[in-house]
Amino acid sequence: MDMRAVLIALLVLAPLVGAILCTILRTQAVRSAIVLATGAILMVSAALLIPLTPFKLSLASVFGLDLHRIVQVADFILLLIILYYGFKHRHLVIIALGLFQVAMLVTLEFFLVSGPTAYERINCDYLSLMMVLIISIVGSIICYQAIPYMREHEHHYHVPHSRQPRFFFVMLLFLGAMNGLVLFNDLTFIYFFFEVTTLCSFLLIGHDRTTIATQNALRALWMNSAGGAAFVLGMIAVYRETGSLELQNILLPGLASSGVYLLALALLCVAAFIKSAQFPFQSWLLGAMVAPTPVSALLHSSTMVKVGVYLVLRLAPGFAGTFLSQTVAVFGAFSFLAGAALAVGQSNGKKVLAYSTISNLGLIFACAGINTGESMIAAMLLLMFHAVIKALLFLSVGAIEQRIASRDIEDMRGLYAVMPVTALITVTGVVMMIMPPFGVLLSKWMAMEAAARNLYVIIMIALASALTVMYWARWAGTLMSDPFAGRFRPERQPVLTWLALGPLCAGGAVLSVVAPWLYLWLIKPVLSGSYTATYTLTAGVLENAYGTFAILPLCVVALLGLVVAVVALKRAFTSKVVPAYMSGIQTSEPFMFLGPMNQPVKAEARNYYLDSIFGEKRLTDWVNLGGGILLTLIVGGAL
Amino acid sequence: MTRTVILIACGLIAGPILGGLFSGMDRILTARMQSRIGPPLLQPFYDVAKLLFKESLVVNVWQVFCAYCYIAASSIALVLFFLQSDLLLILFVQAVGAVMLVVGALSSTSPYSHIGAHRELLQILSYEPLLVLVVVGFYLETGSFKLTSIYAWREPLLLKLPFLFIVLGYVLTIKLRKSPFDLSTCHHAHQEIVKGLLTDYSGPFLALTEIAHWFEIVLLLGFCTLFWATNWFGMAILIVATYFLEVLVDNTTSRMNWRWMLSYVWGVGLTLSLVNLIWLRQG
Repeated sequence: MDMRAVLIALLVLAPLVGAILCTILRTQAVRSAIVLATGAILMVSAALLIPLTPFKLSLASVFGLDLHRIVQVADFILLLIILYYGFKHRHLVIIALGLFQVAMLVTLEFFLVSGPTAYERINCDYLSLMMVLIISIVGSIICYQAIPYMREHEHHYHVPHSRQPRFFFVMLLFLGAMNGLVLFNDLTFIYFFFEVTTLCSFLLIGHDRTTIATQNALRALWMNSAGGAAFVLGMIAVYRETGSLELQNILLPGLASSGVYLLALALLCVAAFIKSAQFPFQSWLLGAMVAPTPVSALLHSSTMVKVGVYLVLRLAPGFAGTFLSQTVAVFGAFSFLAGAALAVGQSNGKKVLAYSTISNLGLIFACAGINTGESMIAAMLLLMFHAVIKALLFLSVGAIEQRIASRDIEDMRGLYAVMPVTALITVTGVVMMIMPPFGVLLSKWMAMEAAARNLYVIIMIALASALTVMYWARWAGTLMSDPFAGRFRPERQPVLTWLALGPLCAGGAVLSVVAPWLYLWLIKPVLSGSYTATYTLTAGVLENAYGTFAILPLCVVALLGLVVAVVALKRAFTSKVVPAYMSGIQTSEPFMFLGPMNQPVKAEARNYYLDSIFGEKRLTDWVNLGGGILLTLIVGGAL
Repeated sequence: MTRTVILIACGLIAGPILGGLFSGMDRILTARMQSRIGPPLLQPFYDVAKLLFKESLVVNVWQVFCAYCYIAASSIALVLFFLQSDLLLILFVQAVGAVMLVVGALSSTSPYSHIGAHRELLQILSYEPLLVLVVVGFYLETGSFKLTSIYAWREPLLLKLPFLFIVLGYVLTIKLRKSPFDLSTCHHAHQEIVKGLLTDYSGPFLALTEIAHWFEIVLLLGFCTLFWATNWFGMAILIVATYFLEVLVDNTTSRMNWRWMLSYVWGVGLTLSLVNLIWLRQG
């Protein structure tokens, strides 16, 4: 059998098998082994895929059954399951959207499409490969960390009958569906996996079965069903215009002049925006943080929200040079700005992370909308680095939350004294989000230089990146704050937690150093046809006609600076420690000063969250309005 | 290769020396404006030397780490400027220093350094977007972010980017910690939050932040020279005139609060930038 087909099957079906085994074999040890094995299979398969890329496969049948028929049946079963949940919770919107999708799918499959639609079902190019690597490696690492996390979680909430089998069933299924989504070329298949991710996220968000969890899960389900509906409509319109449902075929140049074609792409973009929780659809992702933290990590880094950016990056060549492209750029930049502004107003660590995700995805969309070679490179690099570092930050916050029983940034004050290693890893993650020479900033630099000719976009990006620095710097400072920890004593954590945090942290740093070569090997080949990538690489310096980014030299110099600073830090441990300045009236106890009547008063300082400017209450309505207006422009302007 | 080494050495030496001289001149000028004689020109160097040999006292060891990161970042930024690298890259590296200084201040529990740190963050929030837009202006006119191309441009850029030069003036006032924007910390002894941001940096570590600040001063004045890069005379006039104006503004205005700063600087700065950028885009 073809090695390539085997790998594809492993990437998509191994998680499914693992998921089913998790529900059958219900003991902790066996389940852990299954999750570990599935993750290992995924990582190895993804690695083996590297030398084979790029390739296309027709893959018409599996075991003598028509693959298309299988997916068709599975599609309807899936919609029935969603309808079942709609009826169970008496949610009219979900029912209506479910019925609408069934009707549209019937129209498409039985009345419109005639004959075989796609000959090359699988298209594994470098963009797919990058996504598969992210999903299989980062996703598996998150599942690993979920093992100790969920044990502790159920212990903490005194769950009588363990619901972990179901939890890991959905987590693993999610990874398989994501791999399928990025590997298949046929839109009907992509739609199927799109809906699987919707269902999986619904099940995961509602996992804890509290009222709020159910409510938020239903919100995620109806919003993403709306996305599914937009997707089906887009498919129908695409098919009517091009007579094909193959992704590679519908993006041929020369089609962009047709209004219906652009409308189709606009609808697919709307589906993508909903998946990626862009304004005004952000509420489902914010609600998702009621779920156990590994779920948030999974949704935010390697799955779910990445579906949206993946789709738009795929579709971008189809709308290059159109009004649609311009509005997508402005919409993305707006999301970048609004997400960053809302993040500044939050003291809840998980909410800061959530808004930062929305914000960064906005920048990726903006890059896709700018639609030049440089901006696409920026988008792909940002996608990759964001996946790794956001996973790291979510898992860190999860570990912190289980220790200090709070996810509020104010409660993380002086975390270094309590859990030094986790605090250091978190700070490293924060630094990797905002500082050179790390990858996120590299892609932000590329994005800025690519966007510089688009005034609306560059102004919003400039404002947003300043806001971004603000909320991250505040958090890093808080983590390293007093009380002074006399000696460095690493805290105890489950081995699997270290095995998740360590590689992610190291991975983010190493990927940043090798970013130039990563660009040559992985990113540059994606850009074909209309795009020209002009960066040249000399001695670790990326350069094009108008910009230079000295990655390797900067890394070396930064490392030197770090070494000096660390040596200074070590020497500082021998310095005399004095209490913070309190106008000379401090008492012998730390943080206390002598107040009126010589009574000791505790000095307290909290962070600025500027609620009156950046608070959710103040901004959300306006931001939703702005997002709504831009969305109307995207869909209406396409006509 | 030798040229690179010489330029790196120039950056590392010119930074503290020129920066120190500028702040010495600043103090003399300020004194004359206030009808005082003022300290000798080299006073800033004496001050820093004295601080360097003081006993090292720390509130939180991470402050030491942050002080070293601050000086590392600001010196690297200046060296990159001397090597005529990418303007945005220089801006980002410079921002690392600014952020590390804030992180260090936040790692102390003293309310003074805390409030100072948050005000500094608001200052960064005020000037950073404007600095990016100034750089975008250079790009729109010269078609490049590289300093080599900008210095090679045949006409003085001030003629095409007059409003962006004013915007850079606002940035400079904030960065040089001059009134009315000296919220986070101040050179003069009239701050309501003691030394704000720098309250808990002391001895050698305070000296490091001062030297790092000199590097920043030189870098920012280097930004000014870009507006008249065609001859040395133009550069010199531009620097002297700008610095004199900064000192004058410092001595004739009083400190305002951050709300005013943010709305005023964003309002005026963004409007001026937008006008100039549209002009460049259409011109």
